[in-house]
Amino acid sequence: MRTLLLSVLALFTGAAIATAHDGHEHMHGMNGKAPDAFTATPAFAPDGTLWLARGTADRVLVSHSSDLGKTFSTPVSVTPGPVSMDWGPDSRPQILIDRQGRLVVTYALFQDEKFNGRVYVTHSDDGGKSFAPSLPITPDATSQRFQSAAIDSDGRVFAAWLDKRNRRTVPTASLAYAWSDSSDAPFGATHIAADNTCECCRLGLAFAGPGRPAILFRNVFPGSVRDHAVVTLDNATAPGKLRRVSVDDWKIEACPHQGPSLAIAADGSYHAAWFTEGSRRQGLFYARAANGEVAFGEPRALSAPDKQPSRPYLLAVGDTIHLVWKEFDGAKSVVRWQMSRDDGRSWTAARTVAKTADASDHPLLVAHGDQAFLSWLTKSEGYRLIALGAER
Amino acid sequence: MRAALLALLALLVQATTALAGEPLAFERGSWARIAAAHRGQAIVVHLWGLTCTPCLAELPKWSKLENERPDLRLVMIAADPVPQADTQVAATLDRAGLGAVESWSFADRFVERLRYEIDPAWSGELPRTLLISRDGTRTVLKGVADLAQVRAWLDGQKRMD
Repeated sequence: MRTLLLSVLALFTGAAIATAHDGHEHMHGMNGKAPDAFTATPAFAPDGTLWLARGTADRVLVSHSSDLGKTFSTPVSVTPGPVSMDWGPDSRPQILIDRQGRLVVTYALFQDEKFNGRVYVTHSDDGGKSFAPSLPITPDATSQRFQSAAIDSDGRVFAAWLDKRNRRTVPTASLAYAWSDSSDAPFGATHIAADNTCECCRLGLAFAGPGRPAILFRNVFPGSVRDHAVVTLDNATAPGKLRRVSVDDWKIEACPHQGPSLAIAADGSYHAAWFTEGSRRQGLFYARAANGEVAFGEPRALSAPDKQPSRPYLLAVGDTIHLVWKEFDGAKSVVRWQMSRDDGRSWTAARTVAKTADASDHPLLVAHGDQAFLSWLTKSEGYRLIALGAER
Repeated sequence: MRAALLALLALLVQATTALAGEPLAFERGSWARIAAAHRGQAIVVHLWGLTCTPCLAELPKWSKLENERPDLRLVMIAADPVPQADTQVAATLDRAGLGAVESWSFADRFVERLRYEIDPAWSGELPRTLLISRDGTRTVLKGVADLAQVRAWLDGQKRMD
């Protein structure tokens, strides 16, 4: 009797799983279950190994590839048990690799159903075979989400995130940051760079020099105008002035779940790409500033607003700046790509470099040496690493 | 033994059908089905989301309008960027007094496609309201709707009788 019951239950569960995996991913049978995260974030090790941090419903899985993404090692979970992953559309785990090949992984979890998050950090000293117990990035437990981390040229680890510790006085969120002296050291004191930022948009992060990170974020300007601003740290703990990237005049009481991207080229010029539905302009835009002081130039539209252009990503590699974004052509999501060889003054015509006919993660850029790659996780094709500009 | 098996199956069937009030799965092609089902009717389609705070604040106002205007044919579509649990969508509408309204929820992660079917010019911002008259003419209200505008539109639809 008992075995029969169990086998019937197994049959039923099996059917439910099969349904969840068919083409359209019906939600029936998934009642009460948290939505899944679906992200893959890449990083190259100095030896050319590609590392990937996958965000799933309840795990951060790390694997590596020595053949540019064709095959991957068996994934290792950075936590011993399941976790409640932050599935926000702009949230993702991140992986960093220092010069010694040590790995740092950061990720955000949900603490409750009100979207309060907690950012954790872990590291691996044994080439990703095991990970140290995860530690919160900051002692304050109110809420942290949308962490963005990078290692500067001195080997120090910088992380910025959206923080709600000032919620009594700040109705939205604050831009917080902290440093760690090395990949295996805990993060030091948390500093607040700006109050009153948008709550659910990812951050753009790039270095103006060692110890001088610049963060691009959706700020909340007076009148609930959610336009973009960039702040560069004058030194490790002194944020400079807020520089508004453009006046789009997007008055909205909600968070659009669409964050920007930032690159700083070798000549010190700043490059920003973002989404807006402001009264002045709508769609996806790019703007350039000659350095960290001057105003940004006139925004350039990257696409037409009726193509749902979204998720821009910029990366400066050697003397080239790469820019990708996602569009929808009526049947497929496509990744468009442009590059500039003159520090963003002129750009190649946009080209489609990848397509998919189902759900997809944001397109990301990653580089090894002077070679840039598109990194894109799609439901139909799985993970793809596509070399950009190889024909040049 | 056989009886026990049947009882168990009956229980499972019950468990899957006792979910009245839960949203219908909005998938590829659902928009065409909604349009066909309401052909010749003036409808108000309200796009909202569990992950959209102003949407949640706005729901009770729609409930009030729904009570006050029998001529309002309201279709609620939860259009979260990541599909949400049906139970939570249902419970949220129920709490707002909208438990009996026609309700759909995005059940496909390919949100670009779902949005495109509803409105090619929509990048996913919520809330958003579509006033669709009997001949299919659309008026789009971006952001939190001005319900005075919705009332005036409903009055206009009546005059066309």
